[in-house]
Amino acid sequence: MSNTDQATLAATQARRPPFYRDATVLKWLAQVVALLLVLFTLFFLATQAQGNLEEKKIATGFDFLGTALGSDLGSGIDTDPHTSGRALLSGAVNTIRLAIGGIIAATILGVLVGVGRLSSNWVVKRMCSVFVETMRNIPLLVQIILIFVVIASLPRVEAVGEPIHGWLHLSNKGVSIPRVHISDGFYQWLVFLLIGALVGRWVMRRRLRLHDDTGRETYPVLSFAAVLGAFAAVGWFAHPIFGWVGAIFGLVADIIDSLSQTVVQAVISALAVAAAVWWIRRFLARRRTPAGLTKLTDDDRFRIIFAAAGSAVVIVVAVTVPSLSSVLLDLAGGRGIDWLRFDNGFFGWLSEKFGNGRTGAPIDVKRPDIEQLGNFPNYGPSGLNLTQGLAAVYFGVVLYTAGFIAEIVRGGILAVPKGQTEAAQAVGLRRVTMLRRVILPQAFRVILPPLGNQYLNLTKNTSLAIAIGYTDIVQVGQTVYNQTGKTLEVVAIWMLFYLACSLTISVVVNFFNVRMKIVER
Amino acid sequence: MTHNKRLLWRALAVLFAVTLIAASCGDDGDDVDSTAAPAETAEPAADDADEPDAPATTAADVIEDTQDGDLLDTIISRGRLNCGVSGAAVAFSETQPDGSQTGFDADYCRAVAAAILGDADAVEFTPLTAAERFTAVQTGAVDVLMRNTTWTQGRDTEVGMDFGPTTYYDGQQLMARAGDGFSGSSQVSDIGGAVVCTNAGTTTEQNIADAAAAAGVDITLNTFEDFDIVTTNFIQGACDIVTTDGSALVGRKANQQPDGEEWVIFPPTPISKEPLGPTYGQNESRFADVVNWTVYATILADEKGITSANVDDMAANPPDAEAGRLLGGEGELQSAMGLAPDAFWQVIRQVGNYDEIYSRHLNKVGLTREGSANAGWLDGGLIYAPPAR
Repeated sequence: MSNTDQATLAATQARRPPFYRDATVLKWLAQVVALLLVLFTLFFLATQAQGNLEEKKIATGFDFLGTALGSDLGSGIDTDPHTSGRALLSGAVNTIRLAIGGIIAATILGVLVGVGRLSSNWVVKRMCSVFVETMRNIPLLVQIILIFVVIASLPRVEAVGEPIHGWLHLSNKGVSIPRVHISDGFYQWLVFLLIGALVGRWVMRRRLRLHDDTGRETYPVLSFAAVLGAFAAVGWFAHPIFGWVGAIFGLVADIIDSLSQTVVQAVISALAVAAAVWWIRRFLARRRTPAGLTKLTDDDRFRIIFAAAGSAVVIVVAVTVPSLSSVLLDLAGGRGIDWLRFDNGFFGWLSEKFGNGRTGAPIDVKRPDIEQLGNFPNYGPSGLNLTQGLAAVYFGVVLYTAGFIAEIVRGGILAVPKGQTEAAQAVGLRRVTMLRRVILPQAFRVILPPLGNQYLNLTKNTSLAIAIGYTDIVQVGQTVYNQTGKTLEVVAIWMLFYLACSLTISVVVNFFNVRMKIVER
Repeated sequence: MTHNKRLLWRALAVLFAVTLIAASCGDDGDDVDSTAAPAETAEPAADDADEPDAPATTAADVIEDTQDGDLLDTIISRGRLNCGVSGAAVAFSETQPDGSQTGFDADYCRAVAAAILGDADAVEFTPLTAAERFTAVQTGAVDVLMRNTTWTQGRDTEVGMDFGPTTYYDGQQLMARAGDGFSGSSQVSDIGGAVVCTNAGTTTEQNIADAAAAAGVDITLNTFEDFDIVTTNFIQGACDIVTTDGSALVGRKANQQPDGEEWVIFPPTPISKEPLGPTYGQNESRFADVVNWTVYATILADEKGITSANVDDMAANPPDAEAGRLLGGEGELQSAMGLAPDAFWQVIRQVGNYDEIYSRHLNKVGLTREGSANAGWLDGGLIYAPPAR
């Protein structure tokens, strides 16, 4: 290669390429164009919808949340809601109850069936297989309607009817089982439990260290349970001494109530800036090597800009929508929100619950009862009553999801190599210890991500309640938009609600997922 | 060689850019109007990249079509009337095994089709639940609702509907089992503790909530998508009481228990006023006029004794000038409304007058006009039409 050639090459390398071939420019252009396209599409759709609605003289806005609904709800925290917002809240609580209760029950049932399918007992194995195949292969809607119809065909409630052994009552009004009532001194007792848990944790850690140091069996978990149990037992009688906790919450509520909107806006803005700064610093710290800061790629820059822009958006929203701040103030403080019929904000509620003068037993277990107020006997408030609709949706989603969870669990256990079992046996671990210490931790890694998907499915599937008239948020929302005509707004609320639920579940599952991950060094 | 290659790349880049623009135009069009066959607008955008204008104009046309066109002209050019009905309201609109609709409301759909298009069969029926119906009108999925819809202030103003003349004056009642101690003279105050069922998204759920609160009784109100499910649950026993418009209860009872006395309907005086009639979107005054005057034409024909049997004779020798005008004679006003001169003659000939439509469907389930609010105004009822002049 001659000298001139080399010089040309060097010159070519020094010159920047034309902009349309410059990778940096193109990358940025693509990002900006993509962002603009998305924003433009959203803007276009919004103006179109707005224009169409205006042309049809349909009023838009969320004022309807504070106006009277005029209808009753079949079941929920408030069956006679005064406002549409309160009705939607009631429906949302029903959905959340269904989701949480469903996730717990479906997990327990699914794990049992999944392990059962691997059992060496032929009958258990076959029964679990039949369960899984039945549940997985029949549409959920059909199952829900089937359960609904089966419950409807049960005998009617009679005032003289006796629950089965006083524990379970089945009739066409649904299912009634014993219920644990949170009664008078529960929250003060909770303080005892909290302290017990902290002390127990400290004891457990000491015992663990002792075990590590000496190799003696020190029963760490057992000692934790013993400490907690001791505190619970003492607290059962001594809980009134924590009456003063309520006063602290009351003080916080008073302070929040005395804050002005501007302060809240300032706090939100400060938090947004702090969050962005924290994120960017952490991000940069990760890019830092012993040799100094690595060169930031365009992608890195874009992420940093995105974080900064995000906090700017939050600040703009907080400043331009002052009502948001006042709603937050009301929700947190002691005043409550009128149209949601909250007498208290969060801290006001806490101060009432933890307040003085609550001397009764913390919890109370009652058996189902039947009361007759008018012509018709009904389940009374003592038992935990699953109405026909609730029972159908609940058992429907639980059984259906349990079928899938069982398969996930089975797959996860089978995914652990056989060598692990053999190695555990070789070092002489007992079967239970082997499962707990060797097999399950590895199986969990495989199980967790698909399990999270099933939780999301379960939550979303509860919206099938509309088929049988159970008042979940979709059913209530439909009633609301029929009485007020605010279809788009209600649909927006549904979307936000389900998005929030799904994201919450994802965050929780991901937290465990990260903890379970194999730590690679 | 390299020169050619570069040219090729540039040509491809330009083509890509054009495709991108075309695709984004097509996308926007789809999202604005999902009914406008999205596949058709999206596909050319991707395939014919050298004609970016084509999909864009398609989308624009579609928007124009649905927004600016007069509904009456749209229906005439479409050749069919899209009519929303219940499909599950005994004697008002019942879906037949072959998919057709029969009943009082269905016949009023046919009457409007006969007036606009001259053909009573040019109706596309869409069965809608109570919860879907207003959205269906707002989105233009149906032109008019003949779906026993109660005229209320809120629906007329806030929900964005307009209401035609009432075709049936109804009132909400309750139905319970005689075995539970109910009779025809029972009152709302007797229903304490009951599970009361009705359909969701109706005025009935508001009325019963108000009535129970006024009577001071506690009830559990369960609402379901349509009244078929409500009735099924009542038969199975999941519901102690069902409540809806009295006419629907009578219809259900007639269907399920033709001669039984186990189901009783009470209270004697309905707990609400339920004026039922045609419902359409706001700001379509030409179409609204046509619907309203089709209903009035059937009422006027009833007053003047014009029936589907004698309408030809009546048109030839009208009993008075008004009847002559109504049937398309000298001085008719139908042409000015954008209809054929003989529009209402078609209505009476193909569908019938008010009394014929009423008797055909409602008499057989035990609802009669005599003595009710649905008698003609000359017989002490509320069925009344303004003069056709």
